[in-house]
Amino acid sequence: MNILKPTSSARLIASRCITLPLSVAQRRTNSTAVEPPPAGGHLPSVATSEHLRTRREAALRTPGIKWADEDDTSPPRTIVGGRETRKMNTYQAIRDAMSIALAKDENAVVFGEDVAFGGVFRCTMGLAEEFGKERVFNTPLTEQGIAGFGIGLALMGHTAIAEIQFADYIYPAFDQLVNEAAKIRYRSGGSYNVGGLTVRTPTMSVGHGGLYHSQSPEGFFMGATGLKVVIPRSPIQAKGLLLSSIRDPNPVIFMEPKILYRSAVEQVPIDDFELPLGQAEVLTSGNDLTVLTWGTPVYHCETAIHMLNSPSPPLETVVPKALRQAKVELIDLRSILPWDIETVVQSVSRTGRLVIVHEAGMTAGAGAEISAEIQKRCFLKLNAPVKRVTGWDTPVALQFEKFHIPDAIRILDAMVETLTY
Amino acid sequence: MIRPSNSLLARAPVVLRRSFSTGIPRRNDHLPTTNSPIITKLDFFNSVTGNDTQIPTYRLLDGVGKPLDGAQLPEIDEAFAHRLYSNMQLLPTLDNVLYNVQRQGKISFYMTAHGEEATIVGSAAALDMQDEVLGQYREMGVLLWRGFTLDSVMAQCFGNEEDTSGKGRQMPVHFGSPEHHFHTISSPLATQIPQAAGVAYALRRSPTRRSKNIAACFFGEGAASEGDFHAGLMLASTIPSPALFIARNNGFAISTPSTEQYNGDGIASRGPGYGIDTLRVDGNDVLAVISAIREARKRCLEQGRAVLVEAMTYRVGHHSTSDDSFAYRARSEVEDRKRIDNPITRFRLFMESRGWWNNDAETELKARLKADVMKAFKRAETMKRAELGELFTDVYGGQEPWNIKEQRQELSRLVKKYGTIWEPWQKELSKFRNNGQDLMK
Repeated sequence: MNILKPTSSARLIASRCITLPLSVAQRRTNSTAVEPPPAGGHLPSVATSEHLRTRREAALRTPGIKWADEDDTSPPRTIVGGRETRKMNTYQAIRDAMSIALAKDENAVVFGEDVAFGGVFRCTMGLAEEFGKERVFNTPLTEQGIAGFGIGLALMGHTAIAEIQFADYIYPAFDQLVNEAAKIRYRSGGSYNVGGLTVRTPTMSVGHGGLYHSQSPEGFFMGATGLKVVIPRSPIQAKGLLLSSIRDPNPVIFMEPKILYRSAVEQVPIDDFELPLGQAEVLTSGNDLTVLTWGTPVYHCETAIHMLNSPSPPLETVVPKALRQAKVELIDLRSILPWDIETVVQSVSRTGRLVIVHEAGMTAGAGAEISAEIQKRCFLKLNAPVKRVTGWDTPVALQFEKFHIPDAIRILDAMVETLTY
Repeated sequence: MIRPSNSLLARAPVVLRRSFSTGIPRRNDHLPTTNSPIITKLDFFNSVTGNDTQIPTYRLLDGVGKPLDGAQLPEIDEAFAHRLYSNMQLLPTLDNVLYNVQRQGKISFYMTAHGEEATIVGSAAALDMQDEVLGQYREMGVLLWRGFTLDSVMAQCFGNEEDTSGKGRQMPVHFGSPEHHFHTISSPLATQIPQAAGVAYALRRSPTRRSKNIAACFFGEGAASEGDFHAGLMLASTIPSPALFIARNNGFAISTPSTEQYNGDGIASRGPGYGIDTLRVDGNDVLAVISAIREARKRCLEQGRAVLVEAMTYRVGHHSTSDDSFAYRARSEVEDRKRIDNPITRFRLFMESRGWWNNDAETELKARLKADVMKAFKRAETMKRAELGELFTDVYGGQEPWNIKEQRQELSRLVKKYGTIWEPWQKELSKFRNNGQDLMK
């Protein structure tokens, strides 16, 4: 495979860190102030998103948060006082999660291409130094090998945290993941399992990734029963969902929206905590329309909802006045497999309208599965066809990306169409 | 992905160095990425032996069981020889019964190991009982050596309620048993090879098993053409892991002769390319296989790295019950091989020369094995399958997802509605424990 990484931000870091003494590189790990913005620019909505918890109290009250350092037998603590948070971006939160996993589980190892020096996206910065090269190490450049090696470790009850450098390169491992990892518990009658396997991989578009640094392959894995597929939207989510994924008794593919590595910043609890797999999160409540999404488009949806409620002057003509009071329910699906049908059905039954937004192409994408089930379960409640706003059924063309991704204007248009159907 | 250039790597701080490298001493007349000497003569090469000969084959006994000159036989006593021989004889006994049972339609599929008895039983005998084995599908002999019972073999092939390998979910010969350190067989070829590297690495990291156990991974010469072979050997070599790769080169991958599988010197020639200690052994000589695997295992543990053994043998049987091999090879060729180079006969003649075996013992053994196999077969034949509801279990660990729960309920509804009036289901339900009542409640 011939791979060029055009992510100039990552290239900048990679070339910089090679010449930097380690101590400097390490110090950078916990700092967001000195880092340059990503080459694609921050998504305007990420910088100002209401869904990012920039205050300590808000971070500690993240819905569904389960402190993993508490004794299960004692009554749950409702007081969050005493717990600390730290400002982190997404890659730092992911690194923090892996650091906790490695510290608490002697059988945990982290491996993949270029993870030893910190990873091309910095997610494993300093882990090799902290935990040793036997626990955090480079593999040869072989995705099928990385997946197979991780399965072998997990077969022995070890915790394998594997990295595939880009989700675009997960396909050489498709056989190992779909035929092997997903089926081992079933085919062995429960006597073997690879629950200890977690495969992390950067996903979704980054502004200039072209065909092979932009893909969203979650739909391909949605039919791989036996696997779990998880996509976080923010640093808190990334840490909590990754720790849950690592500890889940099933193999999990954890897809990290790469444009959010640096652009999404939150106060993240520094303690060990988990967020539930298989559960969607309602980000804003509403009764007129349900918008369902995951990963990067969460922020495009947030922007689009603002545009619907108070369009800028040039957009006033396209948003009928009657729609501006519409209350939109925004849901982050978080887990693609298994997905939280209950929350979505409950929402659509109330709103009667559903728009699904994802970056992957439309045909046989995850949105197809979801809309079929919602159509079946909410048939009498639906007031408009389920609408899907997705990438086109083309590869992700480099110079055309702004017209490929489901951005805020396309989501706005879909919401208007659905609300006026 | 922009990878740092070599010159940058050379100057890079210690973090960039390979995790397990011991450091390569460099001299000025070497290129930065190799220790290769510089030459001015244009000299292509295409051999690992360096003199255009093929990699030699290690053998101890000739075709009639006589030790070759200079052969150092492994230390085995009479009791051990008996155990080896009875296990080698058990394979064709089981194979003949199950092959015929498949022909009668009583099981859906079968694969024999005819001709490879010495490779499989010899390897099993040389491994530690706790070594983790990852096989392809023709390695039932390893399980039998370790005490997997005939009832368990039958249970898996019939997919009955006693099937501990997989609750009747997988095709016949897909055995597995954590108790016997034998990982469940799966059909996709070569997937077990990189997995073996991971298993071996886990063994290296486990305080209780480090320096005690290895991962032994079996595969055929056809499977070695898969990308996973490349990945697995490379991983176990660069991320030092005690994995022993045992290639069964039996000349055929279904209909494809090995001459169409590779143009090099078999599988063994690839080992050195990965920096792996490699040996080719006569896979029809059980004593040579035992010596080879014992030494290979020792090297795995001492070096903590991969070792490759290519066992040269011949697939006497058809590929599987779905294959008629006389469509692509002459019956006479197979008959010749069976007669001239029979691993079982070879070892029997060796034992006879030691006074450890005779015709009476042979007759007695064959009768006993046949009786044992028939008894297990008859027992398995009448048993029911697991409960129908097991169709839906074990997909996930932990909480069962809604879709699987709902689909179980849906089948339950359909079975209740049609189970007694739709004949194909009615007949099928009677084969399950409780006749499918667990879903009809």
